[in-house]
Amino acid sequence: MATALVIGAGLAGLAAAIRLAQAGWQTTLASKGLGGLPLSAGTVDVLGYAPALLGDPTGRVARPFETAAALAAHDPSHPYAAIGADRAEAAVGWLRDLLPELLTGDLKTNITLPTAVGALRPTCLVQPAMAAGDLAQNRSLAIVGPSQLKDFSPELCAANLARQTWQGRPLLATAYRIDLPARPDEADSPALAYARSLDQTAYQRRFAEAVKRRLKDEEAVGLPAVLGLRDRQAWLEVQESVGRPVFEIPLPPPSVPGLRLNDALTAAAQTAGVRLVLGSSVIGFAAAGRRLKSVTLRQAGRDQAWAADAFVYAPGGFESGALSLDAAGRLEERVFQLPLRGAGGSRLGGQETAADLGRLINADYWAEQRLFAAGVAVDQAMRPLDEGEAVFDNLHIAGGLLAGAVRWSEKSGEGIAVGSAAAAADAITGRR
Amino acid sequence: MRKLNADVVVVGGGSTGTGVVRDAAMRGYRAILVERADLAQGTSGRFHGLLHSGGRYVVADPLSAAECAAENAVISRIQPAAVERTGGLFIVGPGDDPDFGDVFLAGAKAAQVPAEEISPGAALRLEPRLDPKLRRAFQVLDGTVDGWQLVWSAAASARLWGGQILTYTEIVEIIRGSEGVRGVRAVDRKTGEAIEIECGFLINCAGPWAGRVATLAGVRPVEVVPGRGVMVAMAHRLVNRVVNRCAKPADGDILVPVHTVCVIGTTDVKVADPDNLAIPRAEVRQMLEAGEALIPGFQQARALHAWAGARPLVKDDRVDDSDTRHMSRGMAVIDHAARDGVAGLVTVGGGKLTTYRLMAQHAVDAMENQTGRRHPCRTADEICPGQTPGRNYLVSCRLQEREADRLDDQIICECELVSRRALLGLWDEFPQASLDDLRRQSRLGMGPCQGGFCSARAAGLACATGKADGAQATGLLRDFLANRWLGLAPVLYGDQVRQTALDYWIFQGALDVDHLPAAPNRPAEPPAAEDQGSPPTRRQASLACSAGPAVAGEGVSL
Ligand SMILES: Cc1cc2nc3c(=O)[nH]c(=O)nc-3n(C[C@H](O)[C@H](O)[C@H](O)COP(=O)(O)OP(=O)(O)OC[C@H]3O[C@@H](n4cnc5c(N)ncnc54)[C@H](O)[C@@H]3O)c2cc1C
Ligand SMILES: Cc1cc2nc3c(=O)[nH]c(=O)nc-3n(C[C@H](O)[C@H](O)[C@H](O)COP(=O)(O)OP(=O)(O)OC[C@H]3O[C@@H](n4cnc5c(N)ncnc54)[C@H](O)[C@@H]3O)c2cc1C
Repeated sequence: MATALVIGAGLAGLAAAIRLAQAGWQTTLASKGLGGLPLSAGTVDVLGYAPALLGDPTGRVARPFETAAALAAHDPSHPYAAIGADRAEAAVGWLRDLLPELLTGDLKTNITLPTAVGALRPTCLVQPAMAAGDLAQNRSLAIVGPSQLKDFSPELCAANLARQTWQGRPLLATAYRIDLPARPDEADSPALAYARSLDQTAYQRRFAEAVKRRLKDEEAVGLPAVLGLRDRQAWLEVQESVGRPVFEIPLPPPSVPGLRLNDALTAAAQTAGVRLVLGSSVIGFAAAGRRLKSVTLRQAGRDQAWAADAFVYAPGGFESGALSLDAAGRLEERVFQLPLRGAGGSRLGGQETAADLGRLINADYWAEQRLFAAGVAVDQAMRPLDEGEAVFDNLHIAGGLLAGAVRWSEKSGEGIAVGSAAAAADAITGRR
Repeated sequence: MRKLNADVVVVGGGSTGTGVVRDAAMRGYRAILVERADLAQGTSGRFHGLLHSGGRYVVADPLSAAECAAENAVISRIQPAAVERTGGLFIVGPGDDPDFGDVFLAGAKAAQVPAEEISPGAALRLEPRLDPKLRRAFQVLDGTVDGWQLVWSAAASARLWGGQILTYTEIVEIIRGSEGVRGVRAVDRKTGEAIEIECGFLINCAGPWAGRVATLAGVRPVEVVPGRGVMVAMAHRLVNRVVNRCAKPADGDILVPVHTVCVIGTTDVKVADPDNLAIPRAEVRQMLEAGEALIPGFQQARALHAWAGARPLVKDDRVDDSDTRHMSRGMAVIDHAARDGVAGLVTVGGGKLTTYRLMAQHAVDAMENQTGRRHPCRTADEICPGQTPGRNYLVSCRLQEREADRLDDQIICECELVSRRALLGLWDEFPQASLDDLRRQSRLGMGPCQGGFCSARAAGLACATGKADGAQATGLLRDFLANRWLGLAPVLYGDQVRQTALDYWIFQGALDVDHLPAAPNRPAEPPAAEDQGSPPTRRQASLACSAGPAVAGEGVSL
């Protein structure tokens, strides 16, 4: 049987590994740690904003894959150009169908959800527990949070919602507090403690009762995203007791919906037959010409050469340490020293001068920080390119390492990760 | 227009001016301090944090050295909570001249600066991260000092003695009569209100801006050469004592442990405008390389934040003005009656934060020399209010406090252990405060994550407790993030790039703060924090952030 090694346990690595295993490849996933999923909102963002393309000042995207196709045509160095918007759409659809209990959305249109500070964030797929937050459905909202949870201020969330309109109509939002710690007598209860308590039926009722007592005549109830970690029905129990639609609002990390997605994907990988080797860093490789023969895995201080027929490298970007910029201005990809490109395909890597860094790092915090568009340019098989030639024939890149997009600005992280993972896996297995 | 009157007006709320208003008030004068921003937002909040033992000056400037040694003891006693008595080391590294150690010891002895040689092995036991190839080591009484705590406690003492302090008030005109100074005109920068203060005397303590203030009085120019210094805070205390290089003073030869971090500095570059201090990446790199000479591996350590301050050096004709380090660091007290025939005016410049009390004493003495009235200076005798005698700051103080209230309070900023109650207490005390104002008081957002987790919580708390509405709280958050960035961008490398990516994921990815109404890319209403009384213009906003650790001006170059 043909063997594949996937490096990285983020969304990209997990998705690629599952797809490879499903196609009958003997697949191992090696990663030094968890990926960004447990820290992320737990939604699947494909493309939320494209101000340069859409002309209107907010650049809010309504139809994510349609706009991704236009973006790819407008900027051939954008990851969606190599991936292809239709392949990305198929891949995101595949992910939704893989996790039907956890992801919902029609793929055609973005859903707009309130964030914890009351912004209106567009995303493509959401978790069922979040769906009633869709502003297209409900406009009169109660925002409720426990006083013991410092990462959610219903007052800030509601006040900002109430300052905005949605499709020409004002939003109504009222903040309420409940006084209910996650564990008895706690003043500072973290989100995860709430989620674990909300895995229990008795606590679900207490929580729902406390919420219900506060409400007036609002259409729907926004709650911090803590409605159960293991119990996927917890939010439904709460909703039933509250007696009207409830929805989760994602919080800063660690994020309960992000953990749910991570757990579900990890379980799906195991079901598909992926062998997971966590706690192992790739620190080197051996190649013959354009053929990558093995990578060196360091595990518990022991180094081991790991051979495979094909490799998917999905190590993330700067946030996971796969890309680094050192004190002397050296910008590099850490394992393979792959050639790097920036926004618009500009050449990067090696020693950046102070002037280069001045262009990459803007002194205005709110301006686009082009440093974070740095990464690896690829062909349609997701193979890393050097001057238009693949560096290795059997090494494929997926996820945060791809060059050409500042994902948090455009809200495109998961779409690029899943799309490139599928493109990489399909190039390996020959699936079309 | 508001009219006030006083015996003496003090311009500038840095360490010098605050020391002067305290001294004058304690001598019985009706004194008013006027500061254009907040207290300690000039050089006194953007310095290196070293309470000098005098060791640095024993060779080149023994008089300064002796003053430092004496004042170090006084400040540690009268403002104990502002000072951590860390102790310090002077290290002769493998590349340094070992004979300089003898010159150093002789100088210390002559200047009465306590210094004692210890073996390299003993030095390494005290500070295991030092270069193991070090050749000689000397122990001194260096300490570290929090400039804000120092200035606030001196201000509290001044108020107790009847002194008045006007912040966010800028002197725009000095009124002269035939006899000399008669008063000043000022503007309240938050309300725009004009203020006129009638006074018989003016003491100019405007630090690097002292030349400009002197110009308002129409006297012969006082030449102040701002010498910009860049400092970099590194995550954690790589050392627990101040570490100095035992050689001729140069750039980046001191590492100072302050609170939870340690600070390497500084450079010294002559600049034209103290309102516009760049933090060039090249200077940051120079600091890191200098740190490497003290602590091997320094460049791989994580940098958190950079800032710049301007040394308020009064020009001394004896040295070339391109070299500000070797100009007189000693204090300059200019009696304008003698110098220019303008009575009622004294300018104070130069000096160090360590010797601020002594400078203030000389300044008020100079005033009394002119006026002929004499009162003894008592500032060294009295402990400032709110301080427990003998209880100096310890880095573990916060931990002790949190240990006491951990079960019944929330921690808003985990990096710096700022509790909800502590933050709300400060907010009640300063209802107009921006998150940056609260940061200077509490260290909110100054740790490794640079506000990644605490700033949204603090904005949420403002909204929850009715201190701000949604627009104002959003403005507070956005201003805070933008201001933190000024000191982060120049040190963006290594682990701080990872942290920055995580913070962007949080603020833009998960919270979409960039698309809340009143974003800069969508000019709508002005940011709410501004109506709240935080600085009204962009330049002022950058000023507000710049009391550091942060940076001055808009001119952050990389
Ligand atoms: C706080 C946070 C919030 C987020 N919010 C959003 C959001 O709102 N919208 C959005 O679009 N996206 C968001 N994301 C990003 C998104 O979830 C994905 O993490 C991102 O798109 C990149 O995915 P990835 O799989 O490529 O990389 P990652 O998730 O970073 O995973 C990389 C993996 O590779 C491993 N690895 C790295 N180097 C090596 C090596 N040498 N050897 C072995 N293993 C290695 C790491 O341990 C890790 O498991 C967020 C991320 C974070 C951190
Ligand atoms: C890089 C650097 C590192 C240093 N490190 C140390 C150290 O480690 N230890 C040490 O002891 N000393 C150190 N110093 C020296 C020390 O910081 C300064 O000597 C001291 O802070 C000067 O205080 P000041 O009050 O004179 O000036 P400032 O603190 O600058 O105060 C002047 C004030 O005047 C105000 N002002 C200006 N114009 C007007 C106006 N028109 N109306 C009203 N107000 C006005 C300004 O806003 C400012 O707040 C350092 C200095 C620098 C630059």
